[in-house]
Amino acid sequence: MKIVVSFKVVHDDQDIQVAGDGSLDFSKAHQVVSTYDLNAIEAAAQLAGATGASLVAISAGGAAIDDSKLRKNVLARGVDELFMTADDACADMDAFASAEALAALLEKVGDYDLVVCGDGSADNYAQQVDIQLAARLGLPVVTAVTKLALEGGVLEAQRTLEDVVETVRVATPAVVSVTPDAALPRIPGMKDIVSAGKKPAEVAGAGVVPTGTLEVLDCRAPQQADRARVIIDAAEEGALPRFAAALKAAL
Amino acid sequence: MKALVLAEGFEAAGKLGAGARGLADEVVCVVIGEGQIPRGVADKVIHVSLPQGAVYDDAADTVNAIFDAQAPELVFVEPTRHLKVIAGRLAAHAKTSVITDVLELGVESATNMYFGGVAHRRLKALGTAIYTINPETFAELPVSGTDTVEEAAWVAPPRPLELVEVRPIEKSGVDLMKAEVVVAAGRGFAEEGELDLARGLCDKLGAGLGCSRPLTEGLNWLPTEVYIGVSGLMLTPKVYVAVGISGQMQHMVGCNRAGTVVAINKDKNAPIFKQCDLGLVGDIKDVLPALVGAL
Ligand SMILES: Cc1cc2nc3c(=O)[nH]c(=O)nc-3n(C[C@H](O)[C@H](O)[C@H](O)COP(=O)(O)OP(=O)(O)OC[C@H]3O[C@@H](n4cnc5c(N)ncnc54)[C@H](O)[C@@H]3O)c2cc1C
Ligand SMILES: Cc1cc2nc3c(=O)[nH]c(=O)nc-3n(C[C@H](O)[C@H](O)[C@H](O)COP(=O)(O)OP(=O)(O)OC[C@H]3O[C@@H](n4cnc5c(N)ncnc54)[C@H](O)[C@@H]3O)c2cc1C
Repeated sequence: MKIVVSFKVVHDDQDIQVAGDGSLDFSKAHQVVSTYDLNAIEAAAQLAGATGASLVAISAGGAAIDDSKLRKNVLARGVDELFMTADDACADMDAFASAEALAALLEKVGDYDLVVCGDGSADNYAQQVDIQLAARLGLPVVTAVTKLALEGGVLEAQRTLEDVVETVRVATPAVVSVTPDAALPRIPGMKDIVSAGKKPAEVAGAGVVPTGTLEVLDCRAPQQADRARVIIDAAEEGALPRFAAALKAAL
Repeated sequence: MKALVLAEGFEAAGKLGAGARGLADEVVCVVIGEGQIPRGVADKVIHVSLPQGAVYDDAADTVNAIFDAQAPELVFVEPTRHLKVIAGRLAAHAKTSVITDVLELGVESATNMYFGGVAHRRLKALGTAIYTINPETFAELPVSGTDTVEEAAWVAPPRPLELVEVRPIEKSGVDLMKAEVVVAAGRGFAEEGELDLARGLCDKLGAGLGCSRPLTEGLNWLPTEVYIGVSGLMLTPKVYVAVGISGQMQHMVGCNRAGTVVAINKDKNAPIFKQCDLGLVGDIKDVLPALVGAL
């Protein structure tokens, strides 16, 4: 049995600089695994462990996502093998294009039983790639999953929706996306990282250029309300009564 | 122009219908399931009956068929988990991408958030525009429409999900959207018991207690419905007091429209001190009891 986990590589938002005109400067930003996709990798690794399945990780993005530290970081999390499409034709893809690129990558992976996605990526949080991927593959999709099990070719998943918890069952192959509650990411140990370097990783360019369906007209940081920024240090004499008075005045 | 509206709730249908009228001269609303069929919200309502035991998401193939028959240029979708799946499948069918969580609508474009609010991005769909948008955006607009209702023929999905069980989530009943004052607790609270310090402050201020997302994730110290930020609640209280919260953008977009933002944090370099009106540098365990005493 084979489980695939799909993770997105994004700029670390801690390092995004906002220029004077409000445009974003990513030049100092590292490439990182999108936060909640670490939870997806963990959920998939636990499922693979419980079922004896092998675990393959996939990702598609710009040429810069082919980073050896990043590859090791993923392979050190219970992943057996990695497939990536790293090509500037795959940078900044929309959901439709992402699904096209990932479907092409899955053809290389071959027979799989389950594709696990995260809850939403850190840049857009569109919660759409999982669904579009399933539509393209002609597979059922189960989103918002907080608990999952795989037995006898059937996936049973608990979905936490706005007002109800829904339990559903579906025969594999299928696509599933898990919320961060499904599993907390592990902290890989030294041994995991060393052995990660020896695991197979296939990185290639995009065979076809994925089709973009949206045009970005503008992208800039919003004007922030100018705040008064009166900061009081609690260690100062009379700090608390002063702070309490200012807080009361605002009520 | 023709618009299709997909909504789960009765009120949402009316509000999205009203919003769609701003851009379209014909509005068709699709409602799925056995609830009350909304009237007077669109020029036509198309009702999709769910077969016994079907999962809501599996109405996607039926919605695709309605889309083909109606051929709208614009689709407005209520951002619920179920409808996000249906919208995603519709987008794949129509060879486009959903523009999600729209903040502001233009005539041919829409603005949403990028990196949890670090930037705002204006997007234009090259084909059919499918937007998920909060119905409250149009709360002020008059709801109008006829009572025309049509039944859709069910299109069975090739591989349906099997519904095993549906269980309601018990909610805490706290409605932070209505609170004038909100105290929000972050990871600065090292253990669950320390939250009593925040509760003490709430009592003094007559505030509701919310939190940053990490306190509801894995930890479950507070219910999911009270976390504030881009993926949680977006609040506009008179006063917002963030305690032990660092001030990451994903959190701040949920509170930066508050009248006054107050921060308490032991790290004087925490980013939140650049985004607040009033700040106190100190350790929660010392300053909260003292503050409650001083108020
Ligand atoms: C300047 C700029 C402009 C952009 N313009 C647009 C635009 O106009 N329209 C638009 O839709 N997007 C645009 N994007 C990209 C956009 O931010 C999202 O990446 C895109 O919408 C996909 O949605 P998402 O990232 O929110 O993924 P989600 O749908 O939230 O991701 C869900 C899950 O799918 C999987 N996944 C997603 N992407 C990948 C991937 N590449 N590889 C592997 N797994 C993946 C992960 O498991 C993830 O958790 C732009 C990006 C930039 C930098
Ligand atoms: C796609 C996506 C969506 C997200 N959506 C949301 C969202 O909607 N809402 C949200 O909140 N987050 C969201 N996040 C997470 C967000 O990025 C931050 O990780 C989170 O807001 C940090 O929470 P925090 O400030 O409580 O914790 P931290 O960043 O860990 O900050 C804790 C703060 O407490 C201070 N502190 C520690 N001990 C003490 C003490 N004893 N006394 C006083 N101060 C102390 C520290 O100095 C620090 O500043 C999202 C992330 C992603 C990737």
